[in-house]
Amino acid sequence: MSAIFKTLKPLLVLLAGVWILVGCEAGPPPTNLAPAKAKAAQCVEPTADIRKNHMAYLMQHRDATVLAGIRSKQYSLVECINCHVDPKRADGSAVHYEDRDHFCASCHTYVGVKIDCFQCHADRPELANQTNYQHKLGSAESYHFSHQLGTPAVLSLQDLQTITSGGVQ
Amino acid sequence: MTKNLVNEYRRRFLAGLGLMVGATLLPELSNTQAADVTARPENEPASSHKRWGMLIDVKRLTDGGAAMVAACQHEHGWGHDPQASAEQQAQWMRVVKVTDKQTLHSFSLPVMCQHCEKPPCVDVCPTGASMKRADGIVYVNKHTCIGCRYCMMACPYKARSFVHEPLKDQKPHSPRGIGTVESCNLCVHRIDKGQLPACVEAAPHAVIFGDLQDPDSRISQALKASGGTQIRADLGLNPQVYYLNI
Repeated sequence: MSAIFKTLKPLLVLLAGVWILVGCEAGPPPTNLAPAKAKAAQCVEPTADIRKNHMAYLMQHRDATVLAGIRSKQYSLVECINCHVDPKRADGSAVHYEDRDHFCASCHTYVGVKIDCFQCHADRPELANQTNYQHKLGSAESYHFSHQLGTPAVLSLQDLQTITSGGVQ
Repeated sequence: MTKNLVNEYRRRFLAGLGLMVGATLLPELSNTQAADVTARPENEPASSHKRWGMLIDVKRLTDGGAAMVAACQHEHGWGHDPQASAEQQAQWMRVVKVTDKQTLHSFSLPVMCQHCEKPPCVDVCPTGASMKRADGIVYVNKHTCIGCRYCMMACPYKARSFVHEPLKDQKPHSPRGIGTVESCNLCVHRIDKGQLPACVEAAPHAVIFGDLQDPDSRISQALKASGGTQIRADLGLNPQVYYLNI
C-alpha cells in the first residue's frame, strides 16, 4: 500500500498544484468599476499606450508644471481624475483611492502597485457646489466668506450682467 | 391690469438702478482685476520678465486682513485638519497685531510668505524642493520635499507650516499632504490662468497686485508714488510683498 503511495506521490503533488492554479483568477479585472463621468471615445493617447506609459507621461508633466509653470491639460492628473472618476457612487457615497472601485485603484490593486499621488492630490473631482465661490463683488468686511456662501450682501457680477444686458423686462 | 403696470414701472426702475450701479462699479472692477495679471498660454513656462508683487494698504483693511486669511483658507483648504491641535494647524497666512509699547498705538497686518528675492528657505533646503520659480514665486515642490523642516526654521517670517496627518479631499488645484512643508504660493494656479490671488480678490480696495518689473503696472506706479514698506527689510532679502501705513 505504502509502496503504491510512494510511486503515486509526485503525481498527486502535481495534481494538487494544477488544482490550486485552476482556482486563480483567469484574467485582469474590469478596469473601470466606477462610472466614468464624461468619457471620450479615446483617451489623450491610444489606450494601449496610456496603459503602458501613463506614469511616464504624468511624471514628465508633473515636473514641467511644478518647476516651470507649464499647465497644458493633456497629461494633467487633475484632468485624468475629472474624466475617469465620478465623485460619488449611485448611493451618494464618496469614491476614494483606497476603494477597489476607484478608477486608478481598480488596476493598481490587481498589479500590486503602490503609489503616493493621492496622499496630496485629490482622488476625486471637486463637487460642483464647492466651486466658483468667488468672483462676487463686495468689500473686505461684506465678503461672503463670513460663512454664508452664495448670499452676497451686494449685487453679484452675474446679477449685474443680467440687469445691464436688459435681462430684466 | 393696474397691478401689471406697477410691476413694469418697478422693473424699469430696478433696471435703471442696475445700470447706474453697473456704470459706477464696472470701471472699478476692470481697474482692480483686468490688467494686473494677464493669462499666459498654458504650454508656455513662467518667464523671468515678470516679478509678481503685492502692495497691502493696512489702513484700508478694516478687519486687519481676516477676510484675506479666510479667502486663503477657502482657496487652499488649510486650517481645519481633523487631527491637528490648534498649534499644529497649517497657517499659510495670519493676522499679526503690532503694538507700540510707549504710545500703545496698534494695528494689524496680514503676514504670509513674502516671496523674497533671496529666499533663505531655498538656501537651506537639502533636496531643492524649496524653490523660486522664474517669475519670483517661492514655493515647495512637494514631490521632492522630505519634510525635514529646515526651511521652517530658516524663514524669518514664520511663513511655512508642516502637515502632520493623512488628509482627504484636498482641493484639486492645491495638493497638500502628510510629511511635506507648505506655504503661500501666491495662488500660482490662479496667476497662471490670469486671475488674481484669492486674498487679493477678497480685499480689492486695500491690495494692489501686479508685475513689479513693469514700470507702468499699477503696483509699480503706486510704489513709485507712495513708497511702501517691506517688513524686516533690514535682512536684505528683498521681499515682493509691500505694506502701506505700517
